[in-house]
Amino acid sequence: MIVHSIFFYFFSFIAVIAAIMVTRAKNTVHGVFFLILDFISVSCLFIMIGAEFLGMIMLIVYVGAVAVLFLFVVMMLNVNIKETTLTKVKEFKGVKPIGILVGVVIFLELIVVIGGWQFKENVLITSSSVVNQNLTNTESLGNILYTDYVHLFQISGMILLVAMIGAIVLTYRKKEGIKRQNVFSQISREKKDSVTLAKVKIGEGVEIND
Amino acid sequence: MDLAIIFSPLIGSILSILIGNRLGYRYSQLITCLFILISAIFSTFIFYEVNFNNTFYNNDIFVWVTSGQFEASWSVYIDTLTSVMLIVVTYVSLLVHVYSIGYMDHDPHKPRFMSYLSLFTFAMLALVTSNNFLQLFFGWEAVGLCSYLLIGFWYKKKSANNAAIKAFIVNRVGDFGLIIGIFLIFLYFDTIYYSDVFSNAANFKDITIFFLGFEFNLITLICVALFIGCMGKSAQIFLHTWLPDAMEGPTPVSALIHAATMVTAGVFLVVRCSPIFEYSQVALNFVAVIGMITAFFAASVALVQNDIKRIIAYSTCSQLGYMFFACGVGAYHVAIFHLFTHAFFKSLLFLGSGSVIHSLKNEQDIRFMGGIWKKMPYSYVLMVIGTLALTGFPFFSGYYSKDAIIEFAYLKNSNIGSLAAFVGITTAFMTAIYSWRLIFKTFHGKYKNEKIKLNLIHESSLVIIIPLILLSIGSIFSGYLFKDLFVYQNFLDFWGSSIFFLNEVSEKHPPFWFIILTPLLVISAIPIAYYLYIQNTKILSKFTNDNLKVYNFLLNKWYFDEIYNLIFVNPLKKIGYFFWKSGDINTIDRYGPNGISKIIKIISNKAVIFQSGYLNHYAFIMLIGLTIILTYLVIF
Amino acid sequence: MIEVGLGHYLMLSAIIFTIGILGIFLNRKNVIVILMSIELILLAVNINLVSFSIYTQNLLGQIFTMFILAVAAAEAAIGLAIIVVYFRNKGSIKIEDISSMKG
Repeated sequence: MIVHSIFFYFFSFIAVIAAIMVTRAKNTVHGVFFLILDFISVSCLFIMIGAEFLGMIMLIVYVGAVAVLFLFVVMMLNVNIKETTLTKVKEFKGVKPIGILVGVVIFLELIVVIGGWQFKENVLITSSSVVNQNLTNTESLGNILYTDYVHLFQISGMILLVAMIGAIVLTYRKKEGIKRQNVFSQISREKKDSVTLAKVKIGEGVEIND
Repeated sequence: MDLAIIFSPLIGSILSILIGNRLGYRYSQLITCLFILISAIFSTFIFYEVNFNNTFYNNDIFVWVTSGQFEASWSVYIDTLTSVMLIVVTYVSLLVHVYSIGYMDHDPHKPRFMSYLSLFTFAMLALVTSNNFLQLFFGWEAVGLCSYLLIGFWYKKKSANNAAIKAFIVNRVGDFGLIIGIFLIFLYFDTIYYSDVFSNAANFKDITIFFLGFEFNLITLICVALFIGCMGKSAQIFLHTWLPDAMEGPTPVSALIHAATMVTAGVFLVVRCSPIFEYSQVALNFVAVIGMITAFFAASVALVQNDIKRIIAYSTCSQLGYMFFACGVGAYHVAIFHLFTHAFFKSLLFLGSGSVIHSLKNEQDIRFMGGIWKKMPYSYVLMVIGTLALTGFPFFSGYYSKDAIIEFAYLKNSNIGSLAAFVGITTAFMTAIYSWRLIFKTFHGKYKNEKIKLNLIHESSLVIIIPLILLSIGSIFSGYLFKDLFVYQNFLDFWGSSIFFLNEVSEKHPPFWFIILTPLLVISAIPIAYYLYIQNTKILSKFTNDNLKVYNFLLNKWYFDEIYNLIFVNPLKKIGYFFWKSGDINTIDRYGPNGISKIIKIISNKAVIFQSGYLNHYAFIMLIGLTIILTYLVIF
Repeated sequence: MIEVGLGHYLMLSAIIFTIGILGIFLNRKNVIVILMSIELILLAVNINLVSFSIYTQNLLGQIFTMFILAVAAAEAAIGLAIIVVYFRNKGSIKIEDISSMKG
């Protein structure tokens, strides 16, 4: 148990520090890196307490896809170090104390609400998603996901599809001067637009007007 | 017919003011004159009927106020007194309307003027035909209003506006007394109808009440309160200051309002309330004393005035004093007789002076006139007739009425009566002096006007002269024709129940030397005035220079205006200014509209900061809102 | 303190949640920080769900976490797409330049 605690404190310490540095890093790229560090440490935490499937998925999806996406955008937008000096506009000055106050208030509320949570003794035992100690986490997740919650699964697939289409639609740009295929006009070509029969005299040519 | 008398001037006034400008001024003049003519003709019929066929009008038109025990209605009540007043008012009003057609022909606002004149006539008729105090009060206030409108007719002149306000306010002070009188009447008599009050007056003779901590006889208090109203309306001393300034209005206004009708409303009220006044000797003495002082004061001031209209205004004031002290010695019928004749010759004088002013292109100072009797013969002759009537030259109308007053005062045989007679005789002498001074300085002597050449002056048009001629006929003959009816022979039959005489009016005649005295003085005043003012003006200038203080005292109207200014006007102005500045502007406006709009501006300026456009500000505020909601949900 | 129970995990989740919220408006750099803070918030929620799931021996929490994961990814993609288009139009994603909603 001691080991559990040591690892817990270690990982959570890193997670908190990294979270703070996400917002306070001078360079935005460093901020993204700290975000990655945060994800990794939390994923380790998950693995430690026994939800290893979720930990791995987090690594793959969050770190491998989302954070890399952040990096793509940050690099593309070319956010320079020189420009990331803290702005000294006066509208921002008075925000800090109130902001910290708001943060403290939310934190306290979370503690109060969740800490005082009482839930019924046997409400969760009777559901079918009780952990069976003989199966791995992955297997037990799979047992439940594709049977009881298959609808939600499909819908989340749709959400991802819609997000993809949305992202493409938002950033799509037509460039001028690039030749593209317009399949519809290709298919709807008619004979009378494309072929003309002409009688040609010997020795004369044919005028072509395109 | 009685309704037609009262309401046709009103119709004429309304028509004139509504459509006068559109139809053109000729139509409005014609319409108003026509309606007044209808009134005048009907009032003649009514005069004949009431006095010789003994009919009597007392109709309630409709009930105006009923509140508990208090009831008052619009009514038409015509008895002898009212019929006499009707004649006076309608005829003088008719002649003034016709005169205004000529006099105001240079003025751009003719329909408004004619409409105001008709409105005034209506108000005066409503006053004299009422049978209760409330309608009387309505008419009283309405004539005050019309006086304000007419004095301030040329509203672009500042002095005219000031004079109009002064007239209205001084009138108001008098009206306060009148209101207290009416309140007392209602409080003790439980009714304000004349008939009920007058028939019960004898029962209240000895009642005393407490008022402001002092004990007063009820009837005396009522009469004195009513008389204060009369003092305001008829420009008696202490409340006379508005009358000279009222000459800022056009001359027809002065003739109608300040000679014949409005100022006589006070006399009418006293005579109408003779049943009440007769029971209080104190009140009658008060009336007589005030009347005497006024008569003397006004005549003394008129001796040195230089504005032609002001002289005649003070003369009116003085003659009203005569009427009041006639009432005070119990000779109400003589007072009304004098009112009747006075209406004729005073409006003649005013209109005649208006003709002179009109010809001299609005010059009103007699020091700049003179020697124009050859150029304006008609005006000259007519004004001389008016002056003869005013001074009481034998066999003109004024002689009969004025000397009757002095005789009755003498015959009363009391201290007040003898004093009144003495004052009356002295004032008559002074009246003669200043009236002839007016005539001589205006029409005789050297021509002193620098602005207009002598050969450019011509007589006024016929429209102006004809009313003057008609009035002069009245001035000459009205005294002789009506003296038996009103005063001497059958006066008790004539007046009937409209005037109440407690004691027997004596039928004696005063001694012969007394009867001769006044006419002698008056006749002798003519050569004296001629000598002093035309032949040998040096005596008078030396006299003036020796007694400069007295001269200034008289010229400045006994310094009444200055005293009033000091005591009343300036402090009230300061108080009003204080309330305006500190009360109105600083308190009410500052916390009310101005304050609220300033606060709104400040708040919205502060609220604009929230819309900075920065994304994270908006996110921040959203979060704050969320926090507050969460806190609320958690704690409660 | 030595014995780590459910409460500690919840405390950790709360702390990361708060830091994510503070990061939304206490940043003075650019808009991407806001998106990263949103990811932190979602991460904190994930920790919460998983720790509850392990504590009550019920797999429901983990399943829900997976869905949250999917949605978070989708939302990050769309958010970044919006930022890219905004940058294309305005030329800058610094905080003080994004004030066209001013008024």
